[in-house]
Amino acid sequence: MAWQIQCTASPPPLPSFPPFTLKSTSSISLPLPLPLTRSSRFRSTHAPSPRPIAASFSAVESTTSTDGLGNSKTPLLEVKGLTAVIAETKQEILKGVDLVVHHGEIHAIMGKNGSGKSTFSKVLVGHPDYEVTGGDVVFKGENLLDMEPEERSLAGLFMSFQSPVEIPGVNNIDFLHMAYNARRKKLGEPELGPLEFYAYIYPKLDLVNMKTDFLNRNVNEGFSGGERKRNEILQLAVLGADLAILDEIDSGLDVDALQDVAKAVNGLLTPTNSVLMITHYRRLLEVIKPTFIHIMENGRIIKTGDSSLAEVLEEKGYTAISAA
Amino acid sequence: MAALTFIHQNLLHSTPKLTTSKPNLKPKRTKTKLSIQTIRESPQASFTDQFVLQLADSLEDSLPSSSSSLPLQKLRDNSSETLLSTQWPSRKDESFRFTDTSFIKNSDINPISHPPNSLDLLEVSRDTQFESFNFVDGFLVDSSFSSSNLPDGVYVGSLSKLSSEGILKRVCELLGDFEWGDLFWSVNGLGAPDLMVVYVPEGCRVENPIYLKYIAVEGADKGSKKMPLSNPRVFVLVEKGGEVGIVEEFVGKVGSECYWTNSVLEVVVGEGGKVSHSYVQKQSLSAAHIKWTSVRQEKTSAYELVEVSTGGKLSRHNVHVQQLGSDTVTELTTFHLSVGDQTQDLHSRIVLDHPRGYSQQLHKCIVAHSSGQAVFDGNVKVNSHANEYGDQEVKFMQKKKPKKLIYFCWLLPLATRYAQQTDAGQLTRSLLLEPRATVNVKPNLQIIADDVKCSHGAAISDLEDSQLFYFQARGIDLETAREALVFSFGAEVIDKLPYSFVQKQVKDHVKALLKSRRKGSS
Repeated sequence: MAWQIQCTASPPPLPSFPPFTLKSTSSISLPLPLPLTRSSRFRSTHAPSPRPIAASFSAVESTTSTDGLGNSKTPLLEVKGLTAVIAETKQEILKGVDLVVHHGEIHAIMGKNGSGKSTFSKVLVGHPDYEVTGGDVVFKGENLLDMEPEERSLAGLFMSFQSPVEIPGVNNIDFLHMAYNARRKKLGEPELGPLEFYAYIYPKLDLVNMKTDFLNRNVNEGFSGGERKRNEILQLAVLGADLAILDEIDSGLDVDALQDVAKAVNGLLTPTNSVLMITHYRRLLEVIKPTFIHIMENGRIIKTGDSSLAEVLEEKGYTAISAA
Repeated sequence: MAALTFIHQNLLHSTPKLTTSKPNLKPKRTKTKLSIQTIRESPQASFTDQFVLQLADSLEDSLPSSSSSLPLQKLRDNSSETLLSTQWPSRKDESFRFTDTSFIKNSDINPISHPPNSLDLLEVSRDTQFESFNFVDGFLVDSSFSSSNLPDGVYVGSLSKLSSEGILKRVCELLGDFEWGDLFWSVNGLGAPDLMVVYVPEGCRVENPIYLKYIAVEGADKGSKKMPLSNPRVFVLVEKGGEVGIVEEFVGKVGSECYWTNSVLEVVVGEGGKVSHSYVQKQSLSAAHIKWTSVRQEKTSAYELVEVSTGGKLSRHNVHVQQLGSDTVTELTTFHLSVGDQTQDLHSRIVLDHPRGYSQQLHKCIVAHSSGQAVFDGNVKVNSHANEYGDQEVKFMQKKKPKKLIYFCWLLPLATRYAQQTDAGQLTRSLLLEPRATVNVKPNLQIIADDVKCSHGAAISDLEDSQLFYFQARGIDLETAREALVFSFGAEVIDKLPYSFVQKQVKDHVKALLKSRRKGSS
């Protein structure tokens, strides 16, 4: 991916000191085996992913490659040239988004208001307000765009809503129970009864620092901003996900609530699952450390870098980046 | 009156060709209606409606020959007199504008003259899960329920077995004293074979609710013209400071499809008294169900109604609440569900005549069938005799912005003299789940006072897409999501039922109905 992004955003770097050679079997189609490495600009403050960046390289040409450890692997999510319009007005919002996310990586997408960040996350989960007009999205080897929203969720894609809707009359625990059982059914496991489910969910409440009465309230009804975000994370904790898209999980949170939410998210991370964060602010990136930061502008990802990109942003703003 | 009509696509169902009559005059006549001939003359032809006269005759014939106690006799005489000058309601009558009663009129109405045989009764009592007082086909059945569980001085039972002169006198004073009744009120007054009395003496608080179960045993097959009619009647009198819970449940015996239950409940709440009324109507989907609830409230008393109606091909509930003193609290919370070719109708009227009256009303209905219909006419009248002056606060409230709404209501600040510091709120929400499903909503407030706080609103919608998507985004399929949302719409009302055992059985019943609909449609 590094390669790909650099193609679009900056001149391709000439790989100078390859510490290892790409062992990809799929790279035959390329004119020469391009040995890739993390350039110094990609030094991450976060513990780097054990898999070499070479894996991302396959984004352009193929979906399978072999990592440095010799394991065959597929990117978790691969987005190519995704374009989308608002269903009602046909106004184009996404104008060719490319993104590859591998297992265990944390990505952050930043950008100005209206750059298409939230639209991108909604399009990924199949929000009916948007229509995909072109491009491909492959999630775990399957065409995501062919799937219904619920199938995407069951396949392991989770999006925390920026402003989750209130559902009066539906109990929070019933809602979670329903969703959890849908997941179990999909996996061919027996559904849980109310008591078993309660036993399952009870320990998860601590994770988001919520009291039990939280479960007996109606979904998001009368919830404060912070409660809504915690509820989203609770759902993530209950349902699990291979890729969690956190759409402005930090908006409207005070410092303490942000810490709670970030702690919960970090607690859910495993070496295999991935996170895609949409945010305006650097402060979230300080508590959930991203592997990559993408800058989105006018419906495209115009730049990708490591977490140092956030510092550049902080100092010089988006203009500096789009100009670069 | 302002009326609100909403139809998914098209109001007019197939309008049959009218050959002789002028279409303009009878735009909503249907084929069935046109096919009525026989004995019935046009209602305009004479002061006495021949059809009503015939019905009155058959009602009188059905009554037990033994002499009845005084209050009942008085009621029958009055009702009989009223019936003679009452005509069968037509769509030209304002209160039946949207409710077509021709379904009843076109049937072969047969007032039930005797309770069913003991075998049926046995079956009925076996069905009954909770200790209840049972009405079978309008007849109060001696039940195993022992009245000894009730506090001293409380009487629950047939008027004919009432031995206390004092109570009898009170009943006699108050029974049937009501000027707002319609034809169906009078039909019950004439045809009720018995009167059940619930009497709560001064200062007495009855712990356990009085559970009244009305069972229709005699019934014709679906599609048959026969329609056995029963007229159960209950009178509740709560003296000063008394408190009681009344649960009414209406059901049909399995296999009884077509029948007409024409029920009346009168409630008088003394000063500071409280009546909590739960009303559950689960009749057969081919039945006719007409119900009157008339409530009179003395000062500082409270009356709370929670209704869930799901049954009946035609179901109409007339609620009339009259506040007779200051600081009186009235709460009506109702939920109607039409899963079939049904009409669910609520006509309510709350009259706040005194200072610091309070009333809250929430009506919700779901129409889940293309030829289903819901009707709501909710009148709140504020005109009292207080003479303070103050600022007028009248605001429209709408809980939620509906997607599609033809919305019109009336608010009449008429004068500046009455009903001070009244707080009246009314909200109706309707959910239409099928194309052509219809709801006619007429919320209306009439205010003749200045220092009042009144609000009302009406919303009609389909399910919210954003809510459905939220379910989907968590892996729940659309059908399950719809079901959960539809159920939750009614659950807001069901949750207000004060007794958990009632709540549970109503929830199960509503869930089953919604599920049957889902199966039927797939």
